[in-house]
Amino acid sequence: MTILKDVLAELLGMFVADARLTTAICALVLITAGLISGAHVAPLIGGAVLLLGCLAILVLSVRAEARRRGR
Amino acid sequence: MIVWSTAAPAVSAAFFASAVEVVEAFTIVLVVGTLRGWRPAALGTGAALAVLAALVLVLGPLLDRVPLHLLQLVIGVLLLLFGIGWLRKASLRAAGVIPLHDEDAIFREESAHLTEQTRRRETSRDWIAGITAFKAVLLEGLEVVFIVIAVGVGRGLLWPAALGAVAACALVLVIGAIAHHPLSKVPENTLKFGVGVMLSAFGVFWTGEGLGIDWPGHDLILFGFAALFLIAGLGAAGMVRRPESEVAK
Repeated sequence: MTILKDVLAELLGMFVADARLTTAICALVLITAGLISGAHVAPLIGGAVLLLGCLAILVLSVRAEARRRGR
Repeated sequence: MIVWSTAAPAVSAAFFASAVEVVEAFTIVLVVGTLRGWRPAALGTGAALAVLAALVLVLGPLLDRVPLHLLQLVIGVLLLLFGIGWLRKASLRAAGVIPLHDEDAIFREESAHLTEQTRRRETSRDWIAGITAFKAVLLEGLEVVFIVIAVGVGRGLLWPAALGAVAACALVLVIGAIAHHPLSKVPENTLKFGVGVMLSAFGVFWTGEGLGIDWPGHDLILFGFAALFLIAGLGAAGMVRRPESEVAK
């Protein structure tokens, strides 16, 4: 049972290591999907939003974590 | 027919990610082998590898039955979560905000832990040692299985990606057998940084394809995405970098 619990914890940790990062990425994907399917924006513009959004999330997330740790 | 512009990033992502994870698992297996002998270490490792191989063999063909766009979207989002998570951690480590992974320290901690566990349960020392090796290989291997499936399944590259992972395992095992010491000199954070970059690039690519985006340049755009993630990761690390004197404290 301990091994199963550890496996589940490992799987969860792989994708939800940081709740705010996970939420931000999921929200970005939903916004991109909404732009392409709902607002009928050109798919490539949706792609640019997705790419730039991911890059921004990465940078902001690193800065936020560094600040949280006293930087 | 394998398209190498897609296969190269997939195989190299699987190879380097596996190398990182196998180095971590090797440290624990080495603890078991050194303290309790190589029989429980080999049995635990073999059993875990069998479970991991079964996971790839079962999940791979099952995933082929899922509609391609849905599969690309789900795998793409999971790759984004996993890849950006790795890249974020690697950036923080490169900047000195969080400490680097220290295989020597892990070796000492695990040795103390296993000694304490076997001391408390006199009757089943080999069993505890075998389970320790099994758990280490299984838990580290889960990430490898995910990466192999994620980068391989969408373009029929499951076997090349799996071969990349197996090659990394073999390489680490050969080096480990010769060194007979935790592989603390492997530039683990640099590898993690590189893998995080590649997985994040794959994540954007697959998520976009799943949402119906026809990327210009098709697979070749992966290299452009990877370059942008590399710049962003290095830039983020540079922004929050601790002075060396502070890191040493």
